[in-house]
Amino acid sequence: MLEGKLEQASLFKKVVEAVRELVQDCNFDCTENGLALQAMDTSHVSLVSLLLTADGFSEYRCDRNLALGINLVSLTKILRCGNNEDILTLEAGDAADSLVLRFENTQQDRMSEYALKLMDIDQEHLGIPETEYAASITMPSTEFQRICRDMQSISESITIDCTKGGVKFTCEGDIGSGSVTLKPNSSADKPELCTKIDLSEPVSLTLSTKYLLNFCKATGLSQQVTLKLADENPILVEYPLSAGHLRFYLAPKLDE
Amino acid sequence: MTSVTRNNPLTDFTNIPRPAVDPKRARYGAGSMNQRNKPSSFEEDLGRLTQEIEGLQGSAELDQKWARPTLERFDPSTTPIVFQQIEAEESMYNGASVVRLFGVTEKGHSVLCNMTGFYHYFYVPAPMGFTRDNLDRLEGYFDSNFPKAVEKLELALRQSIWGYSGDSKSPFIKIVVQDPKHINRIRGAFERGEINCDRGDLNHEKFFPFPIQTFDNIPYVLRALVDCHMSGMSWVTLPPGRYHVVPSYLKVSSCQLEISIPFEDVISHPSEGEWLKMAPLRILSFDIECAGRKGIFPEPETDPIIQIANVVTRHGDAKPFVRNVFTLDTCSQIVGTQIIENMNEKDLLTRWRDFVREVDPDVIIGYNFVNFDLPYLLDRAKALKLSDFPYFGRLTNIRQEMKDSTFSSKAYGTRESKIINIEGRLQFDLLQLIQRDFKLRSYTLNSVSTEFLNEQKEDVHHSIITDLQNGTPESRRRLAVYCLKDAYLPMRLMEKLMSLINYTEMARVTGVPFSFLLSRGQQIKVVSQLFRKAFELDIVIPNLKQEGSSDEQYEGATVIEPLRGYYDVPIATLDFSSLYPSIMMAHNLCYTTLLSRQQIEIHKLQKDVDYILTPNGDCFVKAHKRKGVLPVVLEELLGARKRAKADLKKETDPFKRAVLDGRQLALKVSANSVYGFTGATIGKLPCLAISSSVTAYGRQMIEQTKEQVEKTYTIANGYSHDSQVIYGDTDSVMIKFGPDDLRECMRLGQIAADLVSQIFVKPIKLEFEKVYYPYLLINKKRYAGMYWTKPEKPDKMDTKGIETVRRDNCRLVQNVIETVLKMILHDRDVDGAQEFVKKIISDLLQNKIDMSLLVITKALSKSDYAAKQAHVELAERMRKRDAGSAPTLGDRVAYVIIKGARNDKNYERSEDPLYVLDNNLPIDTKYYLDNQLANPLQRIFEPILGARKAQLLLTGEHTRTISVAAPAVGGLMKFAVKTEVCMGCRTPLTGVYAKGALCKNCMPRAPELYQKQIESVNQLETKFARLWTQCQRCQGSLHQDVICTSKDCAIFYMRKKSQKDMTDATYQLARFDNTAW
Repeated sequence: MLEGKLEQASLFKKVVEAVRELVQDCNFDCTENGLALQAMDTSHVSLVSLLLTADGFSEYRCDRNLALGINLVSLTKILRCGNNEDILTLEAGDAADSLVLRFENTQQDRMSEYALKLMDIDQEHLGIPETEYAASITMPSTEFQRICRDMQSISESITIDCTKGGVKFTCEGDIGSGSVTLKPNSSADKPELCTKIDLSEPVSLTLSTKYLLNFCKATGLSQQVTLKLADENPILVEYPLSAGHLRFYLAPKLDE
Repeated sequence: MTSVTRNNPLTDFTNIPRPAVDPKRARYGAGSMNQRNKPSSFEEDLGRLTQEIEGLQGSAELDQKWARPTLERFDPSTTPIVFQQIEAEESMYNGASVVRLFGVTEKGHSVLCNMTGFYHYFYVPAPMGFTRDNLDRLEGYFDSNFPKAVEKLELALRQSIWGYSGDSKSPFIKIVVQDPKHINRIRGAFERGEINCDRGDLNHEKFFPFPIQTFDNIPYVLRALVDCHMSGMSWVTLPPGRYHVVPSYLKVSSCQLEISIPFEDVISHPSEGEWLKMAPLRILSFDIECAGRKGIFPEPETDPIIQIANVVTRHGDAKPFVRNVFTLDTCSQIVGTQIIENMNEKDLLTRWRDFVREVDPDVIIGYNFVNFDLPYLLDRAKALKLSDFPYFGRLTNIRQEMKDSTFSSKAYGTRESKIINIEGRLQFDLLQLIQRDFKLRSYTLNSVSTEFLNEQKEDVHHSIITDLQNGTPESRRRLAVYCLKDAYLPMRLMEKLMSLINYTEMARVTGVPFSFLLSRGQQIKVVSQLFRKAFELDIVIPNLKQEGSSDEQYEGATVIEPLRGYYDVPIATLDFSSLYPSIMMAHNLCYTTLLSRQQIEIHKLQKDVDYILTPNGDCFVKAHKRKGVLPVVLEELLGARKRAKADLKKETDPFKRAVLDGRQLALKVSANSVYGFTGATIGKLPCLAISSSVTAYGRQMIEQTKEQVEKTYTIANGYSHDSQVIYGDTDSVMIKFGPDDLRECMRLGQIAADLVSQIFVKPIKLEFEKVYYPYLLINKKRYAGMYWTKPEKPDKMDTKGIETVRRDNCRLVQNVIETVLKMILHDRDVDGAQEFVKKIISDLLQNKIDMSLLVITKALSKSDYAAKQAHVELAERMRKRDAGSAPTLGDRVAYVIIKGARNDKNYERSEDPLYVLDNNLPIDTKYYLDNQLANPLQRIFEPILGARKAQLLLTGEHTRTISVAAPAVGGLMKFAVKTEVCMGCRTPLTGVYAKGALCKNCMPRAPELYQKQIESVNQLETKFARLWTQCQRCQGSLHQDVICTSKDCAIFYMRKKSQKDMTDATYQLARFDNTAW
């Protein structure tokens, strides 16, 4: 039996919205620790890993581990039926064939209940092991989004160079080229606008703009985003959640 | 172990209907393991052939006799020579142009016959006041301006075919030229107005002051055949004493008899009765193998020819009398086959050439030999500097050369090909023939053989051939068997499709030489018939400038708006037999009967008495004034067809039946092509007045039929129901009479056909042919139904325009639709059909469908498409991967659609099926469901179930179990680690359970799940073992590895997939060993 209550439906909505770009059908793994989702996109270039820990829910209960096979397109349709401010309760029995979503408005005078039919998805469960990263950049998520958006119109790929002095995003395309350099800064009163760089050695990775832009769909979830890089390794783009995280991994483009 | 019945994976490929059952499976029975040690069926066939022939002529391997029977002495003054001519060509003999016939006598002797004295000619209308006396002046002009070009001039009374102008003939000048090469120069001069011959009067007026139209423009050879009343492939007799045998020291050919005879003395036999026979033509089928290099398609400059296999049959014999393989290096013996080992490639080629000369084939066949084998042989000989190699034609001194040509026809599309002259031998490429006559998904020899012969062959990738060649005599033997089979299959295909017979009859009916049938389009056949008739009637045919564009359109046939739905009552179908030909005959539509307003006034003709006005607004004179040429041609064709069909009924000899059947088919096709000829706007003699009138009449008749039927069969007239015409197209109407009794409907249909026929002019006839019951009418030109001609039992299931035949669908669609229709219409089991569809969709989503069923093929017809297309993009990507095996222009590209990122276009997601198999890429099942299956299924089920229930078929419960393959490629795969999930509930396993099969919660279900897994492994192992042995049988050896990679073979995909499935399942089973119990 799974039962989880979220004070704001918007969190779940945004999470699904962000994941939906990469994955169509996937299993939500429910354990006593919380709700997790881990899946690769169909072309196996990127991986999304979501964790909503139990303490992020106002009420949470999971008696035994469950894998809920969900079609995200259908889930989105149902989530649209609730308002962002609604209280959302997820509920599924142990051998249930559907997931119940219950929306309750803040005045507690409107309750709606929807059931989503579950699927049986036979898919390999893949993950990226923890790695030592050479660089870790924390920056405002809107800034990251803007860079990706701007560069999208110029090139299919973005190169991220990280040195002690700062981080440089460059792109080169048919019509021209461009670059954005960010220097570390910190302002005490506005921590969400800080840029922070932890570096053990300089790294450089070239990545697909299209996928980075897909990751940016999660911008609304968190004001800050962390990029972790290591040479010739997948980049980790992490959006911290109040309880849990949403991580994306993307394989670098290698010179052929 | 005790078996738990569950979905048996073996049935996964047996319950999907397959058009071609593999013959070997049918022969041995699937999985009969005790049959393992049989030799391959092809070798058995060879063995059997030998035994049968051994009985006749001793040891077949060594005593295969190549040469023709020797020619006995005869007296030319008393012995006529009778032979079937197979080819006619333009040539020179004693300095004059002649038509050279090649042929074979009934005893099998080869003949070359020069028809002398025939000069090419054309007509121009004589100018006003031109008399016989002026001929000399004109002749003088030609002598000085076109020296030695014009043989003579004659004045003749002729009539132009174009338009009715009374019965009077007018004078034409017949210009006879010495050499056919000059004709176009002189004709051109007339057409451009460059004949500056003056009348010789005081004003220096010219005979031809303006450009004028010329008449009669056909190739020299065809002209000669027309004037001699000789048709292609017909028999001729050279009467004794009239011909002259060319002495051997003057012979130019390798023919046993070389003869010359004046063309007037040749007796040509119409192809009827006795003269329908065929000479014992020698047919050679051959195939070459080359040793290529890895990744590169063999190139004649570097890659040697290592084997040439040959099979020679005499037409009419059941078995080939020569079977041999010329090999490079040693090769082990093959039953019933002569192995001719050669130590170097030059010997191989030279000895093969000598073989061809000795066996002297009349017809050379093969599969794509015109564009591959022959050019390769010639190029290779050039590379080896074998300058005396390319002489294997009948003419000993003529070298075989290659030319590029582009053949373009509206009906057959544009094709590039090579032309190689092999004088006196017909070339009959089965690939070209099949591409012309059949619409298939794939044209490889393998898939064509599967289609027509129900037979598979091993498909060895060309890069493996070299390894086999460099191996042992045993491995070269394997290659030789493969090569021999490639040579033998075209022969079998030709026999099975009766191509030679049918094409021979087509040549005889239309009168064109055999070689025109493959090298020219449709029009020449009608042209030939038209000229033949015109020649008899002193009619001449204008040489129209080829102008007008192909997109000039006129209104076509009518289609009565269909009343869509599923009819559970008999629907009677009335057809107009040979609609267009009969309209032309009934209304006397022809070039010669076409009337202009002017002519109506000149001849004071009365409407409906002397002429008719067609619904299209054109006027044609009636038959009593003048009978049209086209109606006469059509009458003869259809009359001949009637006779052939009558003879066919009486005939018992299977060979003669085949000839007659081919003949009646050729006659039917020819009759129907006359209409098309008049409508071909870029054709030789387009006349839209005729073709639009024909279709206008057709439209009118369909409407009249509908009206008449619905007026007559009503409750008011005492019938049980009001009848309704639910659909009609071009030449047929479908009628719902109402009663659900089949006999009653057939009776009504018969009566209605006779009744309606009366309102039309003869020979237009409406025939009751069949009843559809039940009948599913989906849309215009889309319907299906059970086809009944007699009330006892249905003849067959008939479908039109439904996805079963379209080639841009995958085979899955075809199979599903076929089965569904069969279940609905034949078994009347709608519920079963729904269940079946659900099962297929569910299998599809779980990756259980064979990939061979998902392959889509499309022809790569040009390299620069405006819009990006899946198959073009894929061909480009494949070329980057491996240029050698990538599809080239003209090939059909096979692809499947794989999953891609969101918003990826189709063309980004097409992939080579082999690549998908190797890398385990996930198939885009949703694409197949939404873009391939959904629409056709909806169309079928909607009329029966209603829209809502039909939709459920695609979205119901059965679509909620899916399986996604994990590909071996993709940037992230080398970084990812896999976490096993519980086999019971799919939750990721951690801690002590990580290496096992189950999570803590599912432990109690262990026995059940374990058994399920064992079961599945067992089944997969059995399935794989069967498929493997199947392939071993096909390759003809049970001791060697299977190397076949045939993209056309369903078994191949199944074998690959089941091998993978088995490995996976075995791994899954092993997880139980590590389970923390």
